[in-house]
Amino acid sequence: MESLIECTDVVFSYDGERNALDGVTLRIRVGEFVCVLGGNGSGKSTLAKHLNALLIPDTGTVLIDGNDTRDPRKTYVVRSTCGMVFQNPDDQLVANLVEDDVAFGPENLGVVTNELRERVTSALREVGLSGFEQHETHALSGGQKQRVAIAGVLAMRPRILVLDEASAMLDPRGRSGLMRVCKELNAAGMTIVMITHFMEEAAEADRVVVLDAGRIVLEGTPDDVLSRTDVLGKLNLDAPFACDMSQTLQHLGIPVPTCVGEAELADSLADLLPHNPSLTTIDSTTHDNAPSASPTNALFSGESELTNAELSPSGSPAESNDPALAANTIADIEHVSFAYDAPKAKRKRKSNNTHEKLADWGNSPDAVWALKNVSLTVSEGEFLGLAGHTGSGKSTLIQHLNGILHPTLGRVVVMGTDVSNKKAAASVRANVGVVFQYPEHQLFAESVYADVAFGPRNLGLSDTDVDKRVQEALERVGLDFDELKTASPFELSGGQQRRVAFAGVLAMRPRVLVLDEPVAGLDPASRRDFLQLIRTLHEQGLTIVMVSHSMDDLAACCDRIAVMKEGELFCLGTPAHVFADADRMNDVGLGVPAAQRLANTLRARGVPLRDDVLYNKATLANALAHLADSNRVGA
Amino acid sequence: MGNAFSFGSYYPASSALHRVDPRIKLALGFTFIVIILLAKCALALIAIAAFVAMLYAIARVPAVNAVKSLAPLMIIVVFASVLNLFMIDGGATLVQIGFIRITEEGVRRFLFVACRLALMMMGMSLITLTTTTLDLTEAFERLLSPLARIGLPAHELGMILGIALRFMPQFASELVWTYHAQVSRGATLGSSPVRGVRMLSSLMVPLFASVFRHAETLAQAMDARCYHGGAGRTKLHPLAFAPRDGVAVVMTALLLVCVLVANAFMAAA
Repeated sequence: MESLIECTDVVFSYDGERNALDGVTLRIRVGEFVCVLGGNGSGKSTLAKHLNALLIPDTGTVLIDGNDTRDPRKTYVVRSTCGMVFQNPDDQLVANLVEDDVAFGPENLGVVTNELRERVTSALREVGLSGFEQHETHALSGGQKQRVAIAGVLAMRPRILVLDEASAMLDPRGRSGLMRVCKELNAAGMTIVMITHFMEEAAEADRVVVLDAGRIVLEGTPDDVLSRTDVLGKLNLDAPFACDMSQTLQHLGIPVPTCVGEAELADSLADLLPHNPSLTTIDSTTHDNAPSASPTNALFSGESELTNAELSPSGSPAESNDPALAANTIADIEHVSFAYDAPKAKRKRKSNNTHEKLADWGNSPDAVWALKNVSLTVSEGEFLGLAGHTGSGKSTLIQHLNGILHPTLGRVVVMGTDVSNKKAAASVRANVGVVFQYPEHQLFAESVYADVAFGPRNLGLSDTDVDKRVQEALERVGLDFDELKTASPFELSGGQQRRVAFAGVLAMRPRVLVLDEPVAGLDPASRRDFLQLIRTLHEQGLTIVMVSHSMDDLAACCDRIAVMKEGELFCLGTPAHVFADADRMNDVGLGVPAAQRLANTLRARGVPLRDDVLYNKATLANALAHLADSNRVGA
Repeated sequence: MGNAFSFGSYYPASSALHRVDPRIKLALGFTFIVIILLAKCALALIAIAAFVAMLYAIARVPAVNAVKSLAPLMIIVVFASVLNLFMIDGGATLVQIGFIRITEEGVRRFLFVACRLALMMMGMSLITLTTTTLDLTEAFERLLSPLARIGLPAHELGMILGIALRFMPQFASELVWTYHAQVSRGATLGSSPVRGVRMLSSLMVPLFASVFRHAETLAQAMDARCYHGGAGRTKLHPLAFAPRDGVAVVMTALLLVCVLVANAFMAAA
């Protein structure tokens, strides 16, 4: 078969000292879907930039459809053959209007006007954004922006699409939309090269290439590559859940093959395990060792439970859920509604009837209310998770906790003080530390010391106290005070910068730490480190409120989870309670943790797993091992 | 966050004014400024106000958007007109506090300048409200292109302007985020000059860092999409004059005549 991309012994160095690419040889055929995996600094983005002549190899050659990227006369041929989508959705759109942006590439290629219009229309149709021609690019969601970027590339009629971590900054819904577009394009014949560190994406590829330190260390089908959990672990990559799970099961003596896809694993487990739905009765659900329930019943009981909690007269499901925790309330959000355009919202409330008000609370881009009658208590020492879509009001909600935003209606009480009280604001802010998204972007000082000291100095502390706090804060985030205090924060690695930004908030000695997607944009190894850091801070006594898109992270860390939907509190409770009804969570597009997802699939196929507990990897593996044993004994 | 910065934001619609050739809009915009500066009396301002109101009606842009687009620039209006309030002497003295004296003439000038500046901004923001940035930059580029013969990089200037306008809303919302983050760390602008300076640098340094970060990737993204300057570029919306452009020119000329007549009339009276 014809090779569309031919990299031969590509060596490239940015600084002349260390090779970012160190002899990469790679052939990609027409119509292939290839995923390139690798940790930070593995050279995967450098490789991507070689594919469309943004970078030229120091030695070796890159041929795109037979065109050498080193030939300056071929540069634009190469770039229009091999289109590229970058990581940050905000950095790659050139124009204000969607259609102008999509047309930018073909305009540069000198395509005549009549054909331009046709190309824009068909490119937008291919990414599922027909009718968005006149929308403003900056008002789109991250996932939509990335799809506009893909359309902009498609309009150049390329044969190869390279995505350089294009999904890294998207929420799950945006990510799955992007993946769907790529799969559809691939089915229509487009060659796709996807640079990523999400294993779920790699599992869907035809071929996976793993890079480390500028070299290809593994290459093959997803089944071959992703099952090498030992190698992946060493490269700071996560194995996909199904691989991990099947290997754990193998250790427990269940003879499943190593599967990459969850569906396969479910298939082979369903064959191995007892499933006899006709035997299951409602009475048996309570019995510990012989748990079983018909799927319909599981669904039904889960739903009614949630509905009851929601309908509790207090309006705050939290209190009915866990009275012990509620006793020690540290922050109390009481019937808070918030509108960015408060006067307009109030006017509408007054003048309009209920019918029109409901329309206002939809998820439309010009929805007036960002929060609608949210009641929630945060208890001292708890770890509260916040889940929900981009635009569901999570970020707006957390900014109420330290008085940056004041509720349009309702009130927020933190440690007995109403935060809308201006005099109290300073003390509230010292007690509630907020770490915003991508906090490293807020670093500004000439040294790490000065940046971390910014907060304490604002509190008016003496130099010795400031010094003490900076030292303590840097220690808490695992950074060396003496080594880093004089370093410029801008010279540090991304992970270290984020730690410094954390330290800057911890130096205020808050009692509540609010984190807005603290691990967004990090590679798997740094994600694990940061989650561990946050857990340690929680164990040291901090109350944590964490916004996250990862249901797995939330299930693993949190005491309680609040789910937001279109400005309202959708449900609230322990992880087991919130994830009990997978359909509900799928409806809001959030899903459930991987282990729970597998358990649900198996239960739906008649495997008698309990429906009233939240499974994690270990407990599910044990439950399955137990079932396999009993099956063997029974047989 | 969306409302943090609305100057220059396009109001999507397809009114007659939206469809006027952007070159004409820009040229008439400059003419409009000249006309406003020519206006010497209240009557002329009334004529201009009527003209601006009519344009807003034609463009079907809600008055709210017009007022919002002015908000960030209002400080200039206030500053310039207040300056007049104190500096102009003449007529009966109304208020006298120490060396500060407010006279009848001063008040008159104050109101006149305020109205004039406000009208000027209302008129000019109509251009950005009814024209996409890409059209604007192209018009700008085309109007400059005669100067390209003497070495002026017209296309590049147009591109720079377009990208600047495209990124404005983005930087505005990033600035709001940074502000919130630093306020969360106890920063205040007011309490003392030292802390005020520190607060400002805590906002400005991240903003500049972000500008450079965006610039670097944007440049690569443009390269990747085969951008290589203006040569050989085609357009999705090629500019072409239409009869309505003639109407726009005639209307502006009429306004000029009205203003001149009003001036003459007041001077005679």
